[in-house]
Amino acid sequence: MSAPAQTVRLPEGDAAPEGRVGFGAFLVAEWIKIRTVRSTFWTLIALAVVSIGITVLICSLSADSLAKDVAEGRVGNDEHPDQFLTVGAAFGQVAALVLGVLVMSSEYATGMIRSTLTAMPRRTSVLVAKALILLLLVFVVGTIVAFVGYFAANPFFENKDIGVPLDSPGITRALFGVGLYLAVLALFGFALALLLRHTAGAITVGLAMIFVIGSVVGLLPGEWGEWVAKLMPGNAGAQITTARQFDSSALSPWVGFGVFCLEVAVLLFFGWWRFNRKDA
Amino acid sequence: MIVAQGLTKRYGDKTAVDSVDFTVPSGTVTGFLGPNGAGKSTTMRMILGLDRPTAGQVTVNGKQYAKLAAPLREVGALLDAKAMHGGRTAYNHLRWMAASNRLPKRRVDEVLDLVGLAQVAKKPAKGFSLGMGQRLGIASALLGDPGVLMFDEPVNGLDPEGILWIRNLMKQLAAEGRTVFVSSHLMSEMALTAEHLVVIGRGRILADTDMRTFIDQNSTNHVRVRSPQHEALRDLLNAEGLKAAAESDGSLRVEGADTVRIGNAAGQAGIWLHELTLVQSSLEEAFMKLTADSVEYHAGVPGLHEPAHPPQTGAAPGWGPPQAAGGWGPPQDPSGSEAGR
Repeated sequence: MSAPAQTVRLPEGDAAPEGRVGFGAFLVAEWIKIRTVRSTFWTLIALAVVSIGITVLICSLSADSLAKDVAEGRVGNDEHPDQFLTVGAAFGQVAALVLGVLVMSSEYATGMIRSTLTAMPRRTSVLVAKALILLLLVFVVGTIVAFVGYFAANPFFENKDIGVPLDSPGITRALFGVGLYLAVLALFGFALALLLRHTAGAITVGLAMIFVIGSVVGLLPGEWGEWVAKLMPGNAGAQITTARQFDSSALSPWVGFGVFCLEVAVLLFFGWWRFNRKDA
Repeated sequence: MIVAQGLTKRYGDKTAVDSVDFTVPSGTVTGFLGPNGAGKSTTMRMILGLDRPTAGQVTVNGKQYAKLAAPLREVGALLDAKAMHGGRTAYNHLRWMAASNRLPKRRVDEVLDLVGLAQVAKKPAKGFSLGMGQRLGIASALLGDPGVLMFDEPVNGLDPEGILWIRNLMKQLAAEGRTVFVSSHLMSEMALTAEHLVVIGRGRILADTDMRTFIDQNSTNHVRVRSPQHEALRDLLNAEGLKAAAESDGSLRVEGADTVRIGNAAGQAGIWLHELTLVQSSLEEAFMKLTADSVEYHAGVPGLHEPAHPPQTGAAPGWGPPQAAGGWGPPQDPSGSEAGR
């Protein structure tokens, strides 16, 4: 901040490419944006540490009793070793939700949105670029985290001869399913932030939907109560993350995940509609 | 060139910008002048497509902003210095902006050098002072080497050094043949930089003219004359058909005359003169007169002639009529900027 600049010689910029700046440039810009703030780094670290840590912890602690159950033939559908190998994702999902919220809400909280839309005024394209980058990033990290968790936890089972090989039914689907579920969950947070434009509000609503309301509706009576419980975003979407379902009344993995995607798509649609119409 | 036609923005039943037509000619510095709350920022936001006009339209280089092929190559804008993520470094902020418009990476270093932020390029923007934030905003505006530049209240809250820097920058940009559209509520600031003026008050255009014409049409001159033979001089001037009024400081105020005529008349009558001054009413006064009815929030009426003091931070409502201060603007006045809305 020394002496005022006396000259503003701007060297010749490169010749502008023909036609519009394309969607690819928006993707690159959003990729640079998401990896140059610390919140991305910290939420993903939290996601990895919590998911892997809890999976390993639970598997190591329960290996003994599970081995006993298997030996005595008492293993049903909801106490099978393969379910435990992705159990950490249930806790890591908070981080994915928070990251999804922050990617959008921080734009409004910091005023960044004005720079973003000045540089990239085509709003639908910006939104799609942002969502795609978020989706890909969380899917890749989530899947890696699931596999690391599996390889770290399975040896405890193998020691007790109840190891779950990678080719046992449903296990690879569950591991990739963790990545898929977390990615769409991040998008769920993204859509909430788009609608609420408020970090704390979107995180609160998101957590309440997944953890609180998702569990409480299980108490609703009758068949319709059961359906409401099944269709709640977290309940429907999370079915894809376990090799075997804990809850026999839940939707099947791919149907549940499809329902979850549909719900997020509806939220995104309203978010997009609002984003396109409203002043930034 | 920026062209607005029937541009209107309503928030509920409040009309912020009311069917505005104006043209910002190419290759000049055009001042966009108006009291706080007159609709300057709203208009600028509509130019950039950040706010949707309720009616009418505005184009830059003949196109709506959102239709520009690579907006940063055509328009650079500094709306507010806080339009960035505080956790991101200055370098990375410019880096993503460059990428979004396919600008070469080296432009980032070039503009950082240009605004003198190269030393702090790798530091998070949240640690930046207001002046540094403003420089980073200007760096992002210059990134695409655009032909059109827009600055919203660029000197607000800056120290004298920063104000001088921005003033020189705007002149330099115009000298390079760029179109510069700069808003301010400070007439004195405009007088130093702008050649063309668009004056707005309560959402309506009050004047769209070049600076010279604006001054000629809106400022009135008078002659201040002081003499030990006060009474004799007044009688003489009245006899000459000039209206001379006694001022409280013992001088005479003569409207609609020039110094030559008064000096000659006094000389012929053998009257000593101690002072003979042509007093040009400041642009500030012309501006105040023009916008007197269009100030949205009146805070008493500070006299036009007394040296105005910037409102104290916090306590005073910073709305009021524009400050007649010497071109610095209210320091750190939180309500002085409409941009943060």
